[in-house]
Amino acid sequence: MRSAIRRRPFLALFVTPAVLVAAAVVAALAAILRYSLHAYLPGSLDIGGFTLDNLADLGRPIVLRALRDTVLICFETALITLLVGYPVAYALVRTRSVVLKSVILVVAVTPLFLGEVVRTYAWTVVLGHAGFVNATLRQLGLIERPIQLMFTEFGVIVALVHVTLPVMVVMLAAALAHIDRDYERAAQSLGAGPVRAFLTVTLPLSMPGVVAGFTTAFAWTFSAFATPQVIGGGKVSVVSTLVYQLGLSSFNFPVAASLSLAGLVLALGTMWLVRRATRPLEALGGH
Amino acid sequence: MLSKAADRSPPASLPGTAANPRPVPAVRLDGVVKRFGAATALEETWLRVEQGEFLTLLGPSGCGKTTLLNLMAGFLEADAGEIFIGGDLVTSTPAYEREIGIVFQNYALFPHMSVAKNVGYGLRMRGVPRREIAERVDAALALVKLSGFSDRSPRQLSGGQQQRVALARALVIRPKVLLLDEPFSALDKNLRGAMQVELKEIQRRLGVTTVFVTHDQSEALSLSDRIVVMSAGRVRQTGTPDEVYRHPQDRFVAGFIGDVNLLPASLLARAGERATVAIRDLRRDVEAATLRGCAVGEEVDVFVRPDHLAVRQAGEAGTLPARVAALVYQGSHIDLHADLAEGGRVVVRMPGQGALATYAPGTPVGLVVPQGGLAAFPARDAAPSPLPQGPPDSRPSSLPPEPGSTR
Repeated sequence: MRSAIRRRPFLALFVTPAVLVAAAVVAALAAILRYSLHAYLPGSLDIGGFTLDNLADLGRPIVLRALRDTVLICFETALITLLVGYPVAYALVRTRSVVLKSVILVVAVTPLFLGEVVRTYAWTVVLGHAGFVNATLRQLGLIERPIQLMFTEFGVIVALVHVTLPVMVVMLAAALAHIDRDYERAAQSLGAGPVRAFLTVTLPLSMPGVVAGFTTAFAWTFSAFATPQVIGGGKVSVVSTLVYQLGLSSFNFPVAASLSLAGLVLALGTMWLVRRATRPLEALGGH
Repeated sequence: MLSKAADRSPPASLPGTAANPRPVPAVRLDGVVKRFGAATALEETWLRVEQGEFLTLLGPSGCGKTTLLNLMAGFLEADAGEIFIGGDLVTSTPAYEREIGIVFQNYALFPHMSVAKNVGYGLRMRGVPRREIAERVDAALALVKLSGFSDRSPRQLSGGQQQRVALARALVIRPKVLLLDEPFSALDKNLRGAMQVELKEIQRRLGVTTVFVTHDQSEALSLSDRIVVMSAGRVRQTGTPDEVYRHPQDRFVAGFIGDVNLLPASLLARAGERATVAIRDLRRDVEAATLRGCAVGEEVDVFVRPDHLAVRQAGEAGTLPARVAALVYQGSHIDLHADLAEGGRVVVRMPGQGALATYAPGTPVGLVVPQGGLAAFPARDAAPSPLPQGPPDSRPSSLPPEPGSTR
């Protein structure tokens, strides 16, 4: 081992930044852990003595509901992103028209260049009572009174899908581009129509991309803050917004810290479960 | 749909009945054209593939042979003309209703299915009962000598084994036509030879009409009942291997099939189907058909195979003066490269090893040009059909078509 390391003379130099970043992350996590295990002193930013009360606070219904809603919203967002993103990625990879390819790429990927906050405020314009959706539906005479889109879970999910879609499309497109067209042709020559050829060959072979895209969208949504905060407007409570409320409105850092840790554990646990459940799917596509 | 209807009424398509004096071809292309944008990939093509025939589409890359195959398979749609398979019009029938078996260049075995699932795929798509699928898959795997490999993943198989699975998968559906797209190009040389013999055996035993695409002329010569030589989107010649080898109708065919030398000559006379050319002071008789549009006195190129030339002492009567440039030992034979007195180089293929000692480089020699086995074409400047390689001013020169083709 030692000789192997010596053969890479700049290893120490290269590793230093990573070590610094890791140290900072560990320090922050340690601080959160410390806060979560100490008492909350009302009216003070300092913390009291060692206690496990904060963890007990996590059992309160409002917290449990936030944890459950977070997982549900993440799951729904990832699923909808997958269902919307797959056809887009498929069209992107398969179209022969260069123009269409560029249009899809630009439309699908430009959201990445706008920050989450910008995109979220754009959605408030679209989803508001006098927003684009309601105004259009009213002019068409389909509705008389505006539909409530802002401050609903539905609105939050719509905006979150917009956030995760570019990454999903890029990941699925990469997976689809790796599938040799001859597989589909072989299936067709053997009597499979386009739909069956897709379901029996292309879709199974694209599973690694599906799993990667889904887990990425899931994790991304879990950490989303601006979207549920602004679109949800306090009516939709997820882990990140609840942590913000507890920490920066009530200044209850210890409970906020406990909730952060609970969220982290929940995120890691769910990801592990998703990974486990999709491992057989992923094996399908191994090229 | 069309094809199923035809299955139920076989008498109409039986070969040789009174109603059909000429048997229904397995595949018929009537004036098929394919363009990609402004480029014409396949010019108007008329072709018949007879029942049970092994037909090879031969040509360099970009000659349109793969386009033609994809048109037959239904992966491409013709811009003009009609395609018939087993007598049924299939021009706009999608690939999945054409009942054609295809072996792809890279085999395209489904990596997420076992060998048995791969072979049974076409039967499952046809709704064949499970028990019958198992039986037919076993029989197909036995045919390609892969019994006992059913549960393997394609990734666990060697290249040759993968190819056998691909062949079994294409044959198990009892296709009307078997299409093979350069199936041997990914195999090493020894395996290739063995697989060729095996393919030919299986094809003969099943009597399945086969269209084989290759750029390898030796492969085409050894496997085919008939060869369609293509270049630049056009069929240049169709004939048995012997016909295209011995009687090329086109200077492209002459240059592409087998090794060939080019001798500068002039057209002396033309009489009916024969013509006389003069190679320096040698008079030789050639077919006139290939000299269409060439006037008496004009320059022509005479094509002669390296193994048809012989070497004699310099100055011997009836020989062409030349000088030995190099001797290349090839194991079973020796290639003697000689420079002609009037410029240009030819290769003489000589059996035995005596030549190595007899003809040192620099020795003046006389070349014996045979009376038969020659083909003449208008000199290149006049001929529109391009040769695969060599700058135009290098004429006359020897034309070993491809490095690998020297046998």
